[in-house]
Amino acid sequence: MSDITWLIGEFKNTESVAAIVRSLHSAGSTNADIDLFSEEPVELPKGVLERPSRMSLVAVLGAITLGSLATTGVWAAQHNYSLVTGGMPIFSFWGTGVITYETTMMGAVFSTFFWFIWESKLFRKKDPTAPVPVVPPESICVRVRWKGDPAKPEALFHHAGAISVERKAPQ
Amino acid sequence: MTNLPQDAPELLPYGKIREDLFRPLSGLTKRYFVALLIPFLIILFGGYAWSVQIRTGMGVTGLHRPVFWGLYIVDFVFWIGISHAGTLISAILRLTEAGWRKPITRAAEAITVFALMIGGMFPIIHLGRSWFFYWLIPYPNSRLIWPNFRSPLLWDLTAILTYVTGSVIYLYLPLIPDLAQLGEHGSRLRRKIYNLLSLGWTGSDTEWHALERAMKLMAGIILAVAVSVHTVVAWDFSMAIAPMWHSTIFGPYFVVGAIFSGLAALMIVMAAIRKLMGLELYLTKYHFNNLAKLILLMSVLWFYFTMAEHLTAWYGKDPAEIAVFGARVFGRFAFPFWLMVFVNFVVPFILLGIRRLRSITSGVIASFGILVGMYLERYLIVVPTLSNTRLPAAGSVNYSPSWVELAITVATFAAMVFLYLVFAKLVPIIAVWEFKPHEFEEGEEA
Repeated sequence: MSDITWLIGEFKNTESVAAIVRSLHSAGSTNADIDLFSEEPVELPKGVLERPSRMSLVAVLGAITLGSLATTGVWAAQHNYSLVTGGMPIFSFWGTGVITYETTMMGAVFSTFFWFIWESKLFRKKDPTAPVPVVPPESICVRVRWKGDPAKPEALFHHAGAISVERKAPQ
Repeated sequence: MTNLPQDAPELLPYGKIREDLFRPLSGLTKRYFVALLIPFLIILFGGYAWSVQIRTGMGVTGLHRPVFWGLYIVDFVFWIGISHAGTLISAILRLTEAGWRKPITRAAEAITVFALMIGGMFPIIHLGRSWFFYWLIPYPNSRLIWPNFRSPLLWDLTAILTYVTGSVIYLYLPLIPDLAQLGEHGSRLRRKIYNLLSLGWTGSDTEWHALERAMKLMAGIILAVAVSVHTVVAWDFSMAIAPMWHSTIFGPYFVVGAIFSGLAALMIVMAAIRKLMGLELYLTKYHFNNLAKLILLMSVLWFYFTMAEHLTAWYGKDPAEIAVFGARVFGRFAFPFWLMVFVNFVVPFILLGIRRLRSITSGVIASFGILVGMYLERYLIVVPTLSNTRLPAAGSVNYSPSWVELAITVATFAAMVFLYLVFAKLVPIIAVWEFKPHEFEEGEEA
């Protein structure tokens, strides 16, 4: 039988949440073990439970990729069937500029959306057996995955100011 | 933590906020059905008018040589302009972290999506043979038909497609947390649909972090797209060497006009939502006051651009430009021209500029005027240039829209009302999760 326990603590303010996250880190938990649940975004002090993101980079890469592909497509289309241009070049970057710009932006939009899906882990939950707490209004729930005796983190939760602490087995 | 005024909506208990904002979603009243039926019937009539045009041909419209652009293009430019209400305004306010944006953004973003859906239909309606619209899309075919990528009309297609896609995603992303909450209530089918649309949202910090980052990025992207879209719409005109169209300031002039009309539309929608849904506590005088100030600013900017545009044409004394200028300012288009100046500049300046007169009612009156004025502006850009032909023998031509064009135009306004009513019944019109306390600036009132 697995010795993994899930602990869920309910808090009323961000100061207590920051305190429990720091305590859990000191006790050996990593960011991957800890999750907060709330009905609105929680702003913790800098350095507490930071989640690095590559969304901006992905958006730029997506933008460049789609913009380049679309421009290449326009180039290929115009060379495939040469339009009568009255002596002007068959393909013109000036004339295609708007299409390049818009498709570049389209690339940024798509990649941001898909990366949001990826980074938020909506479709790839870390652990499908992890219990999801029902967050009471105006509360913040902290969930931690604990290996070993859960009494220690439970004490940490109480010390940080948790209103209630629940132990849950993997679902 | 905050120095909010005692009656600020952000100070209400979260449960109360949720209850108030979710309440309009439950129950279908007779009044609601009637409100839905009226625009629906108008839309049906518009659909019938379009079917007449498709079956008979473009001869049923008032368009004739040389006025090949008429009400449909006016409608197109007008609705694309209205679409700037939402995404652009919401993006600016989000990026500048303006706290007062919270009850406004979703209502505004919805306007964008619906206005784009409506506006985007007009190039297709205007085509005449609408069923060939896909010829605009480059695809290999046996007839070797490739679109002309240098045509501003193809630029329109790309720009609007990007804008629609971006706006839908920009509206959808902040809806996800609310959809997840809605998934806990209502009938089984409703819960199932909401849960499906919320993509399994649990409210974890990983999800919130990703959402906030995505929203910030999307705000930046959508801002760049929105400005480009209306610039491209302006280029539909200014790329043509036609009098009073071939202007370098048309891009920014159109963008300013678009934001101006968009804000006016937003003011009307907000006032309607406030009254009909009983959200007086959430959409306060403070929000309307801020909107009114923005409208006033755009009114002054619009007047500046209009003056610059006409002054340079008059000073240049180019005969072709002067002919159109004269028709607009002193000739047969003088009445709509001066009416436009009156409702777009004089009325807002008085009603919104004088603090004592500024109220929700005066804001709505000014906004209705602005919508009329901006519609006239689009008409005055499109029609006088085309009806003042430069061939001496042709003289000037009168254009008056037919009942088909008018019916389709009216139907689009009905479509906006219809779509909005449906939307407001399906999701909370104010983002519930965004309603957390914020620091008020010194001197702000609720």
